[in-house]
Amino acid sequence: MGRLFAVEIVYRGIFQKNLARNISRAIVLAAHHEGKPGISFGRYGDSPERNGIPAKSFAIVATDDVTLEEGMAKYEPKEVDITIVVDDTLCKGVESWAWYGLQPINRLTKPGGTLIVTSHENSETLISMAHRKETPYQLAIVKGTPSFSGLWVYKDDHSDVRILGTMAKVLPELFSLASVQQVIRAEWNDELKATSALRAYERATTVTVQPTQGNPEKPFEFQMPKWTEMREGIAIPAIPRGHQMKDPNTGEMGGYQPERNPTFKKFTTRTMRPVVDFDTCIKCTLCWLQCPDSVFDVTPDGLYDANMEACCGCGVCEAVCPVSNCITMVNETQFADNDSQWRMWKEDKEGYKGWLKEKIANRPERSHGFRFRGQYAEQVPDMLKIAREG
Amino acid sequence: MAVSDRELAELVQLRPTQTLDAFKGVKKLPLEEFFTSGHRTCQGCESSLVMKMMVKAAGPRTIVLGSTGCMYVANTTYYSTSWVVPWMHTQLGSSGSAGLGTAAGLKALMRKGKIKDEPINVIAFCGDGGGADMGLSAISATLTHPDYNVLILMYDNESYANTDIQLSGSTPYGANTTFSPPGKLKRIMHHRWKKNMAGMMAAGHPTCRYVATVCMSFPVYSMNAVRKALSIGGPTFIHSLDPCPKGWDYDPMLSHELGELAVTTGIWPLYEVEEGVFRLVGKTRDIADGRLKRLPVRDYLLKQGRFAHFTEDDIAYFQSKVDETWEKWLVPGVIPFKKQIEEDRPPA
Repeated sequence: MGRLFAVEIVYRGIFQKNLARNISRAIVLAAHHEGKPGISFGRYGDSPERNGIPAKSFAIVATDDVTLEEGMAKYEPKEVDITIVVDDTLCKGVESWAWYGLQPINRLTKPGGTLIVTSHENSETLISMAHRKETPYQLAIVKGTPSFSGLWVYKDDHSDVRILGTMAKVLPELFSLASVQQVIRAEWNDELKATSALRAYERATTVTVQPTQGNPEKPFEFQMPKWTEMREGIAIPAIPRGHQMKDPNTGEMGGYQPERNPTFKKFTTRTMRPVVDFDTCIKCTLCWLQCPDSVFDVTPDGLYDANMEACCGCGVCEAVCPVSNCITMVNETQFADNDSQWRMWKEDKEGYKGWLKEKIANRPERSHGFRFRGQYAEQVPDMLKIAREG
Repeated sequence: MAVSDRELAELVQLRPTQTLDAFKGVKKLPLEEFFTSGHRTCQGCESSLVMKMMVKAAGPRTIVLGSTGCMYVANTTYYSTSWVVPWMHTQLGSSGSAGLGTAAGLKALMRKGKIKDEPINVIAFCGDGGGADMGLSAISATLTHPDYNVLILMYDNESYANTDIQLSGSTPYGANTTFSPPGKLKRIMHHRWKKNMAGMMAAGHPTCRYVATVCMSFPVYSMNAVRKALSIGGPTFIHSLDPCPKGWDYDPMLSHELGELAVTTGIWPLYEVEEGVFRLVGKTRDIADGRLKRLPVRDYLLKQGRFAHFTEDDIAYFQSKVDETWEKWLVPGVIPFKKQIEEDRPPA
């Protein structure tokens, strides 16, 4: 029996669909150059894909046909040699559909396997975002801005080839740099992309992540109901009606907090989160009213507290807020928990002000898809500079 | 069991179902949500906002029926839901029949004394694929039944968005969809103009006492339209335009702004037809009365990736077609009969 290689690509639905497909396709083609058969496929269960929702593509390669067939007989790989993470905020874990719970990003990574992450963050930050794993694994960072674009667009910022070049370094048994470059020339007919792959190959380094490192939290999980527990027909219980909230200082009851779907939380869809300056809020209701995900709890003092378990970070609240800098979207990598900002503000208003200021300083430029014609073309040169110069 | 003439007359009597006062502004809205968090929609999904506001306006005594589409698949994922009110799935083209059947069933149960006689709202929603394309005949049939109180709400994101954006009868001219990708030789692959659903429903169904177009970027008016539709009696129809970040290809944070632009550029006129009386509403009315200048359509088009292939000529053509609806149509943006009729035979 030969050797089976499996690679998963974890990506943001729609925004990175074409990127993930191109990477997994190129992996199989590069291995094919070395006589290894393989197959690349998107996870069926992610379809229909939604904007921002974590999704997966797989590439499976084997040293011979029989081994490949054996690998393909499984619905999806149980463990992978390499986990490619094309957006760093996915390191916090992924929740794809109801009942799945929060799955650590490194869940399928083999002992000693490699996590390749596209990010501007350093290894310490990324390691602290990922959940702890019982066995050591490697982390490689491809420096850059996570590449986002629309459904039909492929933003060619070399993210794809730089990841492929890094793979050739960390898992040379799968394919060599020469094979990758051969595929790049054949597929894209672009010598610059072949050079980017080479640069990534030269620069690729890994750090070992020990079982003692990472987020110690136990990710939430759910028990699927058994068929014997299901109701007649396909009837399921509705969400109960909401309730009032309690003021942590005065104990006063008021406002309104809806009950939420207990088995799907959606927050792993988020790449940015709203931070609210409660001191400047004019209680206009617009963030609460216009939020498609009913994220805002109405507090007893009439403010609106974004619930971070439910927020998927679309940014509509920031867009509709009439007060400048009252709601600001901040990169999700800057946060370690989903705690209530309103509670924090209630407990220590001065402290909250300082916290807010520090977070807003890290405000990234939003690039969740198309904002104006020519935007993608504007974003590419920066990434090419990083590809060239590191 | 024989039904007496009097009972029969009772059955077809048109009367308001209940009193639902209009909401008086965003600060006077009820806080309670009947469609809550934890649905698997896209970031910035305006259609899920329609669901939220629709049931917020309707209140707790509501049954919702949903035909296949994003708002079915995403909101009831794998044996879980984000609905607080009772909700049932129905087939793609059958929102009209399911709504009618539910309303008729409730009426029969109340008449027989099996359940309490009280106003229960029945809302059947469908997407533009399920409504403007597949479910058109069933919706049309439902709107001819005067004796059942049912609201059919069509949330229109201008494509079959759930299955990755195939074009529907509601897709605007020239848009990039999975079925109409622009090519090098032929740029515009979709030549059809969007169906005018609300106008069609209002013009063709004299029994239907309320038809409205809404957009959730104008929440108070939109919610009040739902309240009016649920209280006026008989079958009613509301058509909502929902910006779709996935299919229209834009940054989710622009969802609200694109809804506003659709109205202020004159592409999406807001109007209601109540008891046969037609009224332009809000910003659309301001445009018609000359209080607000209609914005150029390019402000709307160039923010969306689905029109990224448009040349200046295409934008100009789109603008000319929108201008035509405003300048030449019998009712601006609504009834596509040219004013020529009036010019040929001026009223005496």
